[in-house]
Amino acid sequence: MADVQFGRYCIHFFNTRECPNGTKCSYTHKTNHEVEQFHYVVGNEFFLGKLRNQRVCRYFRRGHCIHQQNCHYLHDNSEPAAGRGSIDRVSRNTRAGTNANPPSTSQTADMVNKNTVNNRKELPNKQLKISSEEILTCKKIEETSKSEDAKEEGACASPVSSFRDSWVNAPEFIPKSSLQPRSYAAVLGSESANDGAACYTDLVANRKLCPYANKDGVCRNILHCTYLHGEKCDMCERLILHPFNEEQRKKHRQECLMEHEKNMELSFAIARSKEKSCGVCFEVIMEKASGEQRFGILPNCNHCFCLTCIRRWRQARQFENKITRACPECRVTSDFVCPSMYWVDTKEDKDKLIDDYKSALARKDCKYFKKGQGKCPFGNKCFYLHALPDGRKLDVGPPPRQRRPRNQENNIDVLQVMLWDYLDERDFPWQSLADDLEDLVSFFTDSDESDWSDYEIFFD
Amino acid sequence: MANIAAQRIKREFKEVIKSEEVAKCAIKVELVNDSYTELKGEIAGPPDTPYEGGTFVLEIKVPETYPFNPPKVRFMTKIWHPNISSVTGAICLDILKDQWAAAMTLRTVLLSLQALLSAAEPDDPQDAVVAKQYRENLEMFQITARHWTNVYAGGPHVNSDCDDKIRRLVDMGIEEHQARAALSSYNWDLERATEQLFS
Repeated sequence: MADVQFGRYCIHFFNTRECPNGTKCSYTHKTNHEVEQFHYVVGNEFFLGKLRNQRVCRYFRRGHCIHQQNCHYLHDNSEPAAGRGSIDRVSRNTRAGTNANPPSTSQTADMVNKNTVNNRKELPNKQLKISSEEILTCKKIEETSKSEDAKEEGACASPVSSFRDSWVNAPEFIPKSSLQPRSYAAVLGSESANDGAACYTDLVANRKLCPYANKDGVCRNILHCTYLHGEKCDMCERLILHPFNEEQRKKHRQECLMEHEKNMELSFAIARSKEKSCGVCFEVIMEKASGEQRFGILPNCNHCFCLTCIRRWRQARQFENKITRACPECRVTSDFVCPSMYWVDTKEDKDKLIDDYKSALARKDCKYFKKGQGKCPFGNKCFYLHALPDGRKLDVGPPPRQRRPRNQENNIDVLQVMLWDYLDERDFPWQSLADDLEDLVSFFTDSDESDWSDYEIFFD
Repeated sequence: MANIAAQRIKREFKEVIKSEEVAKCAIKVELVNDSYTELKGEIAGPPDTPYEGGTFVLEIKVPETYPFNPPKVRFMTKIWHPNISSVTGAICLDILKDQWAAAMTLRTVLLSLQALLSAAEPDDPQDAVVAKQYRENLEMFQITARHWTNVYAGGPHVNSDCDDKIRRLVDMGIEEHQARAALSSYNWDLERATEQLFS
């Protein structure tokens, strides 16, 4: 099936023969008689559908299809699948073998006639090919029929099929279980009877699970659905475990476990944050207005504030910097506030949060550096990204040391203080909670609301 | 009034009412109006101080920017203390000024004031006259403070000597509080107080 025609077919037309977009629809309109529902993903593209007539009839492949010529599926034997056996072909070979004459069916007779003309020339070549495949029971007429097969299907005969082809010539009939066609139900039902199932394992393991069941967990057409239906995963409770593909099962279980751990972590985070109230406004932070349900984590102490309050306190200008840099509860100085969706109480969690915060800031362009056009007064101490337009990072070196000129005794590192102001003042408008429940901690782009004029007094 | 300030005062008000200090009658807060911008506080004079047994009333004004700015607190009850103005009741306490922290509450403010009564800071005075007396004549300071507590804060210790001197000045046509303030400033020296009052 080298030339499988995948495409992106319109799901609306497929299901209802109607499409709200009508002729403007960007997908091809095919009905469910023409397209097989089949989905796959290439890169970020999701494809749906495969032209139906490209698919080989499974019953034909197993040996018998009651629809014969009227079958929607392709009746050819180009695919060397295990368990394949064609009654049509066998009967043809039988007749050919016994009569050493062209088959009686007028249709096949025509074909053979045509082919024998061609075979005359190609015969030595074919013979060579077949003998190289160690076929012992080579009769001339069989060769003819074989080359006829090869002609028709473009595929070579495998030892298995050649053996099967000559079974009629066997002295006595010995059924071979591995080649015996088995019913679909028998294959599905008997995992333990792997003698027979073994040859199907590969085939079955690669089969797709029903896309409907995957999506909603329910296949509405379960009686007639030709897809495999997964087993229930006890963690996610979806019918998603592939019944035969152990690898897929393992992978899914791992994914589920990770998902579960993530959810546990999240619920722990919510549990420990739920009761926490802000030391400034005294309100329970998780019960505040949706835009204000953020924690402002101070790196150097474990007092809990909402981001709004602690930022506002740290920006209070009526007090000395020493006062506002300090925790309002314990007066331990912290250089910056780390925004967080949830409260962190262990040191590891906190360290991770702060690292995440710093790396999130490091991905954002510094608004003073301006991709190399401006100059950042904080130098390489700035948490933000100093990169040129081509993405190259630049080490701008340490910031020039500036001390408050009018107050020489009071040697506060003004620059340091300003840097923390800068960090505090850049605000992070928060997305809605639903959007980032995935991440325990998330950071969003800043709105560039900080006011440089506050700092100018230091620069006189 | 800013929402955050009102919300917080409401919560704090409940907190003070439930606190154990209220159970011990050490502190108390009352509402003055409905808007939570103004409150009346009360603290008990701490034991083993000249203020013991007295109840001191405070005026608490909550700014719009509370809790990012401290509440404005003033003694309504007249008090003789180096860090509190004997005239206006203004308080010199760092946490009510530059050492304020947003996590402080009405309760912590009242308790701090109570602590201030038991541990004066004469080196950082609000009332220079009182601070001078505290440093130079601690005994006289204690007599004066106890007398003021008795007269203004309902303290139990009656000092008849002080009362006599005040009555003599009142007889001369001086207003009682004016007489008491003058006598207190001059270490209860009647002559110097009279001199100052009539000069």
